[in-house]
Amino acid sequence: MLQKKVCMLGSFAVGKTSLVRRFVESIYSDVYQTTVGVKIDKKNVQVDEKEVSLVLWDIYGEDDYQKMRWTYLRGASGYLLVADGTRKATLEKAVSLERRVREEAGSIPFVLVINKSDLIRDWELDTALESQLSAEGWSILRSSAKTGEGVEESFSLLTRKMLG
Amino acid sequence: MSDVLEKALAEMGFALLEYRGNGEFLPIATLPTWFSEIWAETRNSSDPIPLTRQSPFLESFLLEAEDFWNSPTPAGCQSETWIEKALSGREIPVQARALLLDGNQILALLSPDAQFRERVRFLQTARNALLDHERLAREIQKKEILLHCIVHDLSQPLSIMHVAMDSLSEESISERSKQFLTLGKHAGDQQETMIRQILRTFSDDLRASLDAGTEGNVSSDLLECARKTTTSLAPTFEAKGVHLAVSSLVDLEAKWLVVAEESRLQRIFSNLLENALRYTPAGRRVAIGVEDEGDFLKAYVDDEGPGLPRDLRPEQIFGLFMKGKQSGGKAGLGLYFCRITVERWGGSIGCVTLPEKGSRFWFRLPRASGRTAASPSDAPDASNLKIAKRNPGIVRPLRILFADDQEDIRTLTAYQLKRSGHKVVIAKDGKQALNAFRSASFDVVLLDQEMPGMTGDEVARAIRKTEGGKKERVFLVASTGNTTSEDVRRLKQAGFDDVLGKPFRLEDLNRILSAAPAATDTSMPSVLPGAIFTELVARVGGDEKLLKRMIHTFRRDTPNRLAGIAEAIRRKNPEALASLAHALKGSVSIFGAESARKHTQELQDLGRGKELSRAAEVLALLKEEIAKLQANLRGYANQTPARSKSNHAKRQRPSRNRGKRRR
Repeated sequence: MLQKKVCMLGSFAVGKTSLVRRFVESIYSDVYQTTVGVKIDKKNVQVDEKEVSLVLWDIYGEDDYQKMRWTYLRGASGYLLVADGTRKATLEKAVSLERRVREEAGSIPFVLVINKSDLIRDWELDTALESQLSAEGWSILRSSAKTGEGVEESFSLLTRKMLG
Repeated sequence: MSDVLEKALAEMGFALLEYRGNGEFLPIATLPTWFSEIWAETRNSSDPIPLTRQSPFLESFLLEAEDFWNSPTPAGCQSETWIEKALSGREIPVQARALLLDGNQILALLSPDAQFRERVRFLQTARNALLDHERLAREIQKKEILLHCIVHDLSQPLSIMHVAMDSLSEESISERSKQFLTLGKHAGDQQETMIRQILRTFSDDLRASLDAGTEGNVSSDLLECARKTTTSLAPTFEAKGVHLAVSSLVDLEAKWLVVAEESRLQRIFSNLLENALRYTPAGRRVAIGVEDEGDFLKAYVDDEGPGLPRDLRPEQIFGLFMKGKQSGGKAGLGLYFCRITVERWGGSIGCVTLPEKGSRFWFRLPRASGRTAASPSDAPDASNLKIAKRNPGIVRPLRILFADDQEDIRTLTAYQLKRSGHKVVIAKDGKQALNAFRSASFDVVLLDQEMPGMTGDEVARAIRKTEGGKKERVFLVASTGNTTSEDVRRLKQAGFDDVLGKPFRLEDLNRILSAAPAATDTSMPSVLPGAIFTELVARVGGDEKLLKRMIHTFRRDTPNRLAGIAEAIRRKNPEALASLAHALKGSVSIFGAESARKHTQELQDLGRGKELSRAAEVLALLKEEIAKLQANLRGYANQTPARSKSNHAKRQRPSRNRGKRRR
């Protein structure tokens, strides 16, 4: 079976851990528990009749307290870039993370996931920026770890992109 | 290793293993309990443990460890903490360290449980606080917007009350009725004061937007404000050991009058200087200065700090709640305030990293004609202002088309306008207004914004389209409660010449009407006198037709050229940028547009140097200059030198036919 390393990247509290838990264990908690360090999970998926084992690296969200360690990207086949639709700055952070990944690890497949679609009424998304990113060829999906909306689709799309 | 030492290491939580190749490790000391919780079932006591197959994190770390074992460095090789899940489901933090001991490749694993939990607690608290802060900031923003809406709703009936009572005061009424009227007017003024106080209390921005309709006529001395602010902040700069001075390049004797209100202009300087101080180390210098840019004057604050953050675009720096990472910033409103205030006065603001060191924060404001701002104590009391009817000599009769969907406002405003001697046609919605405009000639069209069918914006665009860029345009006034800088910019883009903020007094309306001819003039080609036209004609060998053809070609091709430059920047194509900028430079040089030429030269240089980081910003400046040039050329295209001179002279005199449309 093919094995693919996938990194979860994004600002703190955007829902990276929640997305992984929803995807792997189908559970969700409303309580925000910050991730310190790295957590690794595995899940087998079937995409286009191919079975793939995804090794999910849930990496802490970068902020003033914890800086991203780029060696975690070594061997990654792709990454899920996560932003929080209710916090505009997290999308800007995602854009800057993508640029830094390109500088550090070259161009590898990724999908931008704008999370917390269950709180759509509180979204403060920069739609101009979102449109601009789409126009530049970014794959962008909306998700909710709480309801499960878009979660499977996000990982499936990334897997397809990784399989080329 | 002795038994005691082995047990001590295990007791301290260390697992020591020797690397045997193929991702397998052999314990060289007693393994601690946590290790067994995670990997207990994977081993017999004498077998190597295939750790990298059990732990993807260790599989990745082994690559770093092997590098270290092959070429040891003093810095060592240590992982950050990662989480392993025990067979029981418990999450166990683990750290790894590669050691080279007597040539043996050793992996030391440790579970820093207590420190880890302490770190988690700390980060959880810090991040919760950050999230709370963000949430609070969003709440404040929402409340400001809500407040804006409430104020708008309160202002609408107040407009009617003001106009109704002003109208009544013109009637022949009994002394007793006059007393009642005075009471009513006093209550209306009180309510207006209260609304303004609410705004002042909750938001400077909203207060400013309410005042937007009246502040366009005041001016202040840019350099004088800069000096005053410099003087007041000098002790703060001294305390930090930062040298603050006005740039030696500034002409201290010149007048630097700009369209701005002095107290807010000082606050802008103050915010920019405080921002510079925050990022400038002790012993360094902050300079403040002003520059002449023709129709605009520019002020700047240069610091010797680290320059702009690389992950932020300049326009983001002036965003709401945008804060720097260094300590000392406040709520992230300072630079936002600067932006909205400067834009409200018709200016622009930006920042760049300086080539050698530090950054420059600049803003440019329209040059003022000369009148300085009155201080608040000098301001006349609104109740003592004479409306136009009482001073018939200052009002020219105008033909006015007035559209508003509120019958009360329509009736009262039309009544007052007629009493002032104007001829008024009223329309109850946008479509009716447009039909009326197409069937008669008007000097002024006053449009409410929110009307059923067609909004004021849509009517304005349709009118400007009907006029088709003709020299003589009707004077368009928007009547609206939404007068933020964004609103005013949008309205100007739609084709409006002025904005009447609601609630309005008749004084406000009359002031705008009396300014209408002057405003019409400023949009006319008289901004470029005939002498310059003559010079341009001379430049092309005296061939007027050729010059007009060149103007026509320039106006036709330039939008595409600008779009091409924008595309080259977006696609990060420096060669195309240099080539397109070079071509445009030639065109603007012909028309003597020096600022535009400089910007095209800069774009060309950036393209040639393959340095595109500032290109978008320079392009924005170029677009501003091109827009000015285009407006001027629009006038040139329709005149000859002789006509332009006579027209220029003619426009100095008021004319009743100014707004008449040609068919």
